[in-house]
Amino acid sequence: MAVAHQHHETPKAGTPPPFWTIARRDSLAGFLFIAPQLIGIITFVLVPLGLVFWYSLHEWNVLANTFTFTGSQNYRMVLEDTNLLEVLGATTIFSVGLVVLNLSLALLLAVLLNQKLAGIAVFRALFFSPVVVSLVAWTIVWGFLLQKNGGINGMLLMVGIEGPNWLREDVTAMISVIVVQVFKNVGLNMILFLAALQGVPKELYEAARIDGAPAFKQFRRITLPLISPTILLTSIITIVGSLQVFAQIAVLTQGGPGLSTTVLVYYLYQQAFQFDYFGYGSTLSILLFVIVAVLTFAQWQMRKRIVFYEN
Amino acid sequence: MLYHPTLKFTVFALGLLGLGGIAQAQDAVNLRMTIWSANEAHLKLFNDIAAGFKKEHPNVTVAYESLPFDTYTTALTTQIAGGNAPDMAWIFETSAYDFVKSGALYPLTDTLKAAKGYNLEEVSAGATERWTQDGALYAYPFSTSPFAMFVNNDVIKAAGAKTPAEMIASGDWTWENAIATASAVGKSGKGGLVVRDFNYQNWQYLTSVWNGWGASPWSEEGKTCSMADKPMADALSFIHDAIFTKKAMPGPGEMVDFFAGDAAMTITQISRASLLPKDKPFSWDLVPLPKGPAGEYALIGQAGIGVMQSGKNAKTAAEFVAYMTNPENSAKLSQFFPSARKSLLNAEVLKKTNPLLSQEQIEKVVINGIATGKVMPGHSGFAQIQQMVRSNLDAIWRPQADVPGTLQNICGQIGPLLKR
Amino acid sequence: MKTDLSPRLRVALYGLMCVLLIPFVFPTWWMVTSSIKPISDIFAFPPQLIPQNYDWTTYSKVFELQPFVQQYWNSAYIAAVVTIGTMVVSSMAGYAFARIRFPYADTIFMIVLLGLLIPSEVTIVPLFQMFLKAGMVNTHWPLILVPIFGAPSVFVTFVMRQFFVTLPAELEEAARVDGLGRFKIFRKIALPLAKPALASVAIFTFLHSWNLFLEPIVFLSSADKFTLPQALTQYTDAYGGPMWNIQLAAATLTALPVLIVFIIAQKQFVEGLAHTGLKG
Repeated sequence: MAVAHQHHETPKAGTPPPFWTIARRDSLAGFLFIAPQLIGIITFVLVPLGLVFWYSLHEWNVLANTFTFTGSQNYRMVLEDTNLLEVLGATTIFSVGLVVLNLSLALLLAVLLNQKLAGIAVFRALFFSPVVVSLVAWTIVWGFLLQKNGGINGMLLMVGIEGPNWLREDVTAMISVIVVQVFKNVGLNMILFLAALQGVPKELYEAARIDGAPAFKQFRRITLPLISPTILLTSIITIVGSLQVFAQIAVLTQGGPGLSTTVLVYYLYQQAFQFDYFGYGSTLSILLFVIVAVLTFAQWQMRKRIVFYEN
Repeated sequence: MLYHPTLKFTVFALGLLGLGGIAQAQDAVNLRMTIWSANEAHLKLFNDIAAGFKKEHPNVTVAYESLPFDTYTTALTTQIAGGNAPDMAWIFETSAYDFVKSGALYPLTDTLKAAKGYNLEEVSAGATERWTQDGALYAYPFSTSPFAMFVNNDVIKAAGAKTPAEMIASGDWTWENAIATASAVGKSGKGGLVVRDFNYQNWQYLTSVWNGWGASPWSEEGKTCSMADKPMADALSFIHDAIFTKKAMPGPGEMVDFFAGDAAMTITQISRASLLPKDKPFSWDLVPLPKGPAGEYALIGQAGIGVMQSGKNAKTAAEFVAYMTNPENSAKLSQFFPSARKSLLNAEVLKKTNPLLSQEQIEKVVINGIATGKVMPGHSGFAQIQQMVRSNLDAIWRPQADVPGTLQNICGQIGPLLKR
Repeated sequence: MKTDLSPRLRVALYGLMCVLLIPFVFPTWWMVTSSIKPISDIFAFPPQLIPQNYDWTTYSKVFELQPFVQQYWNSAYIAAVVTIGTMVVSSMAGYAFARIRFPYADTIFMIVLLGLLIPSEVTIVPLFQMFLKAGMVNTHWPLILVPIFGAPSVFVTFVMRQFFVTLPAELEEAARVDGLGRFKIFRKIALPLAKPALASVAIFTFLHSWNLFLEPIVFLSSADKFTLPQALTQYTDAYGGPMWNIQLAAATLTALPVLIVFIIAQKQFVEGLAHTGLKG
């Protein structure tokens, strides 16, 4: 990745080589350039993470003002927590559903919006618009629309369908929180894909067309491989993001019905902030962090196999 | 702070100084009270009271911090966890036990008794019970608000059903008949009976119904689950039937707002009278809760003000609470927050502060309600119990449901929590 | 794929896009129109697509009930400062990771990337304690410092690194021969070339700050310091019941300006991203 090639400033005969060689100067410059970011990460990410780990070894009763070292007790609780299995199941369904739906919709929209059509700019802006609407407002509005007698069912009724009670049944509640989140944020991935599509050299399609390859084949053989790095990037961002979805759940379903939409982040929020089990909540935080880290690492490792590089 | 030894020591040292040094009395003291109302009229009244206190204690300034209602307790404990506890805080009746038992609150009894003309004795023992531990009052219940039934007579008459007033006159104002009226309205396209704030999540508001069956979620001393007992099973079966068979109550996910004129009746606290529409008024009434199989009953919701033990000005804060809730200021507060002081529990005083209510409504609903009402259920660790019951009750809120079986389940789950 | 489309295909594409648009546009439409409905009409079933009764007072109430202008300013200036600060910090870091050879560069890069992985719910309590000790609770500092230096800027650093990697090496070689130092090369050569990339990540950064919700709720407590998303939740009646129409009016006021800016700037935005090297 680094392109800083050594220059050949041969020291003149008789003078000792200067201490500040190009390499040394570069090292210093490198450290200075990254210093603000690195110090920020240490202060605002690593130290807090360390503190969270420290809390996870304690039983912390906020109201009674006690903070007792309990060692691995909270970690044993993770293994014994009967709800956790259900929570992890919900988390998996939510994340997988979100990533699949988000990426395929984003790609579809990007391909559509990459066409040369009059007024395409307006469509791009409209598809992107939910991204700029405040998350809270967006979720509240969808909360209205998804009620039993809300807007969605009102529209369905116009075409003669009696809609389900979206937020109150296990399956539809999960679908609802996924879909609301996808519509909110798919615009970001759509733009990233659009940018990637515009980076695909047009000559490649020309050549394929001369060879008589049909459109879908062009897409599979040319487009997909060339934008695969973007697919990797967006899928990492989307998976990581999906594990952090909180406000939507809090507003729409509060984790219900039952525990069917209680994802890990919401569960840890409940434990730490609502039930005041800060120690156990911290332990779940560490669990969440490990899951995210492992997933990202695995994806990163897989990139060589699935991502096509031009060179 | 919570556990940092140096800071803890500093607080301790400051506390000693506060006890020993008179010089400190001249130092500026800034007190902060967290509240869940952001209402302008409320804040104006509170600020007036703070200004009155400042006249006597020129060095003390009180600021109010409005936290969102829905997440109030969560936000408050987050502040405490972060080491930024307020000096004073409003506390919900449901989380009262957590706060009172934890030792987080500063005992108020001595300060209140010492305040001139305070007359703590006139506050009934029933009202202070939940806020008292080992004879000391840890938070003052400044709001004691009875639950009652608001009625939209226009909607009921349009559906050709009997109004509650008619039923009261003929002596058959019972749950059975109330639901019959609600059902008639529900089938006419409007909403029947709405238990406000319940929303199929905050099940504790159903207490306003199941108390008519003599049901309660747990025993008096809070150690054993009584959700699976017959009264609760009967009450919840009745409610289930009212929702899904009789269509007398809006089902899960159906939004019906009584105060917008869309429902026949709603159960809520009387202070919500201020939500009655002014521009498109309907003919409304306020009546006591109907009689259940276990007889007549009343329910009150409470809110307390506590002083946080960890604040360095706890003593001054307690003095402010004494000032804020003295008879004179209680009278002012009671226009929004009914007081449990006997001297304020008469029709004359209440009429002045509740101009919307008639003399009869005040006597039957307010005075009688506060005098005989039970307080909403609460428990230590309420948030977790609440959540556990809520997620299990979801199984009941569908047309085909096994009510007794679900209740058995709930007891199995919350049993261990109750014993703690 | 980019070919001249037949008229029939054109119509089909327009039709498809219009159908797909419904879930994207309808909620916003509903939000805007409901903001001028009387509260009882918001609950009407079936919902009214076009308001039948108008109540414009909701908009004046938005400003009466809260210091909304002040809150608007708070959100705007915080987002602006965060955007500029992030651009500086992340473009420098991204440049160094891409083009400067220094010890442990790869390890440090991995450490920095950790920031991408941590949900803000996880670190909010310790961060709160740290800022409390620094006396910065109920100030805007946490909302400025954490995004610029902490986890949220990592994404921008990553994008900027991807961009700088694609710059041809010859440009810098020439400058070095002319005796320019690292900082001057960055400032005079690399940064000007990065303008399109910077422009697009600037929008991401701005939106992230503009929509931040959890952090303001935790760190800020007085109404005149609130940011917009937080202010939205404060339009409630005396008993915590939300005042829906006023809330929706406020939400409309927070969304529209950003939307308009995006419609104007979207071409540069997309093209800028196409240049970032996100493709590789």
